[in-house]
Amino acid sequence: MGLAARRTAEAVPLLLLVSGIAFALLQFVPGGPIEVYLSNPGVRPEDLERLRRALGLDRPLWEQYVSWLVAFVRGDWGFSFSDGRPVFDRIAERLPASIELLGASLALALAAGIPAGIVAAVTHRSMLDRSISAVAAAGVSIPTFWLGLMLQLTFAIGFGWLPSSGRAADSEGLARLQYLAMPATVLAFAHAAAWSRYLRASLIGVLRAPFVAAARARGVGPRARLTRHVLPNALAPVASVVLLDAALLVPGAVVTESVFAWPGVGSLFIEALGRRDYTVLMAMLMVSSVAVVSFNLLADVLHAWLDPRVAS
Amino acid sequence: MTERTLVILLLATAVTACGGGSGTSTSGRSAATSESGSTSRLVVGYDREPDTLNRFSTHILEDIETCVVEGLVTTDQAMDIVPLLAASVPTLENGGVVLRKDGGMDVTWTLRPDVAWHDGTPHTSADVKFTVEAINSPAYNPESTDGFDRISSVDTPDPLTAVLHYKEIYAPYALQFVRGTLPKHVLEGRDIDSANDYNRAPLGTGPYRVAEWKSGEYIRLEAVPNYWRGAGLPAIKTLLFKFIANTNTRINQLKSGEVDMVVMFPWDKQREVAAIPGVTVHSINGNGYEHVTLNQRAMPAFADVRVRRALTHAVDRALISTTILEGLAPVTHGPVQPVSWAHNPNVAQYPFNPTRAAALLDEAGWRDSNGDGVRDKAGQRLSFTLITQAGFAVRENVAQVLQGQFKDVGVEAFVQLHDGTSISKLWFEGKFQAMLHWWQLPADPELTLFFAKDRMPPRGRNINYVSDDALTALVYAADRAVSRTERARILGEAQMRIAELAIEIPLYGVTKLDAVPARLKGFTGNPTNTGPFWNVHAWTLE
Repeated sequence: MGLAARRTAEAVPLLLLVSGIAFALLQFVPGGPIEVYLSNPGVRPEDLERLRRALGLDRPLWEQYVSWLVAFVRGDWGFSFSDGRPVFDRIAERLPASIELLGASLALALAAGIPAGIVAAVTHRSMLDRSISAVAAAGVSIPTFWLGLMLQLTFAIGFGWLPSSGRAADSEGLARLQYLAMPATVLAFAHAAAWSRYLRASLIGVLRAPFVAAARARGVGPRARLTRHVLPNALAPVASVVLLDAALLVPGAVVTESVFAWPGVGSLFIEALGRRDYTVLMAMLMVSSVAVVSFNLLADVLHAWLDPRVAS
Repeated sequence: MTERTLVILLLATAVTACGGGSGTSTSGRSAATSESGSTSRLVVGYDREPDTLNRFSTHILEDIETCVVEGLVTTDQAMDIVPLLAASVPTLENGGVVLRKDGGMDVTWTLRPDVAWHDGTPHTSADVKFTVEAINSPAYNPESTDGFDRISSVDTPDPLTAVLHYKEIYAPYALQFVRGTLPKHVLEGRDIDSANDYNRAPLGTGPYRVAEWKSGEYIRLEAVPNYWRGAGLPAIKTLLFKFIANTNTRINQLKSGEVDMVVMFPWDKQREVAAIPGVTVHSINGNGYEHVTLNQRAMPAFADVRVRRALTHAVDRALISTTILEGLAPVTHGPVQPVSWAHNPNVAQYPFNPTRAAALLDEAGWRDSNGDGVRDKAGQRLSFTLITQAGFAVRENVAQVLQGQFKDVGVEAFVQLHDGTSISKLWFEGKFQAMLHWWQLPADPELTLFFAKDRMPPRGRNINYVSDDALTALVYAADRAVSRTERARILGEAQMRIAELAIEIPLYGVTKLDAVPARLKGFTGNPTNTGPFWNVHAWTLE
């Protein structure tokens, strides 16, 4: 618990720094919330000036930042520059879709990646190991958007088994799973591939450790050796990787959500970026940062619990 | 097992990838879409989610709004301004427009009787007056106050008559209420910017009302029971606009039958979309034009008319039109397109002629003195950066062809890609040398903003930075001409002057491609930003 408290305290200045950098970076991105109006010739320079004042963009940058920060810390996330609705509502309404996709893909990735890693390590250098490695290499290197579009061509347009994209939140049960199947698979594939590689490497290392040989010498059977001695030691570093990857999924699976028209926070992020919706972007960056920091913390705590050597 | 599944999956995708394209089976069209084939519901794949449905506040196209909120006029498929909630379009000839001696003008709008808002309240001249006052009020921040800010007051002698008193002549007055009116009884005394009940589901008089807006997913419109055009209209009871930002995904949904229709899809998808069974590609010449802007301020070489003419002669527009554009977009010679009443076909043209281009450049003193393949003059190379917006495959290809054709006459161009908002910032501040892009002009072309010498940024969009007294006088004279014939004559002269000076390199007219179900009747498309839903009340599905 001491570890958790210390790390939480450390996170405050870190998040403050992140907010400052994020704010500055957004200013450096060319174009702002006013430029999106330029596509209409009826929008004249005087209109742009009026809109700039209305959004408070005519104030000095430091003043914009400080007033945003003070309000944000108090829980007032402001209003979207794009549609005028509260930023909190805009993000909150997208969370269920994101959590659904995140949960499903994590479960799938674990279900595929962990057994694959174990089988590959146990059958080290066999044909099976090599095949798993090949698929894993494909999983890590195939671009998500390509795999997504190929799955659509195959299962939605070719066979007609699944809807090509969208979420259909109002449908139920099986129908809902049909919409989830492809985006979750695409997202899970890359992670399962990476995790199986980590686990394989970690397991191979542990399998060679002297205490495994010692267990074998004591007459511990292969199954017991694997479950009681090898896996607990090999899983600890993999658990950290899984949690850190999961944290990165929180800002939204941007590409997957775009390809599958999935209404999560990732597609909101892309839309907000295109429209330079500063208030929404800042809130999303902060939420993501908090997620990364807390999953990091969780990973450390878990690692310490799985492997007492880390804590000391 | 897992790995085997994955291998099978990969193989399956590889097989489809190779056999895809033409292999669109019909079996997919029935899958996962129990609604497909319905005559009462039309599903539209739409490329973006609106920011707001308030037509005066939004900065994106108003396709969805058009079905709900009607203007006093609209622009039809021939780009004519036709009455909608107005009984007629006021003109000088019919007495609807009166020029005052003090330099101002009065415009009288007579409203169609028996039109009610969806809540049953009559639509009256009080709504017209309220709209003008709301837009001119500092308390509300619409996208643009153009035209409204020239209205000093509005009289409403009776519920169907609104007389607008303009402080000065405003030639595009007929389009003043193309975005409709704001309902006084709903919005009076309120902060319109934050009136989200209205902004997310506006009260209108149109054939549809907003039934549901699911953020990130769709907007569902339902037909209203007592539409003023008569019983039975509209025939299609539900319009579902699904937000699908990714173009490939949008077209995949069209293939699988999950959406029935996709409006304004990119040209490079034309073959793919045309091959989908049951889908018709509808094409209409728009009122936009793709061109290369030559920034005379940032690139002084462009200030010489011989250089500009040479660059125009250097470009083989017919080749671009027939190859990259597959004949979809017609070659153009100026900013006003043939679809417009103001179009002048007799302007100077600069046919593809590299020899002529080279001679003009020689004459202007640009010669390749050091034999590096690029012309120079007084130690300056004739070299510039051509910026264009990323993400448009066709445009990126055109930029490369231009680069090659300029090189053939000894001119060096570097292509640079920027995202949409970044490029807006660059051009609005004049921070570029040459830019490949399009302008979409409204049904009533106002050239002042683009060509008057006092309309350079930040005061306007004269980003060629052309400063020509004769042209400036012409475009301002056109703005003061209320009579259509007089206005057309002056705009015609302005087009001649623009072509004579070769201010920019006009390339091709922007054709709008809409993918519609073959069983949809009554669809016409629309050349302006009014969009293809302008006559949605007359659509039927067979």
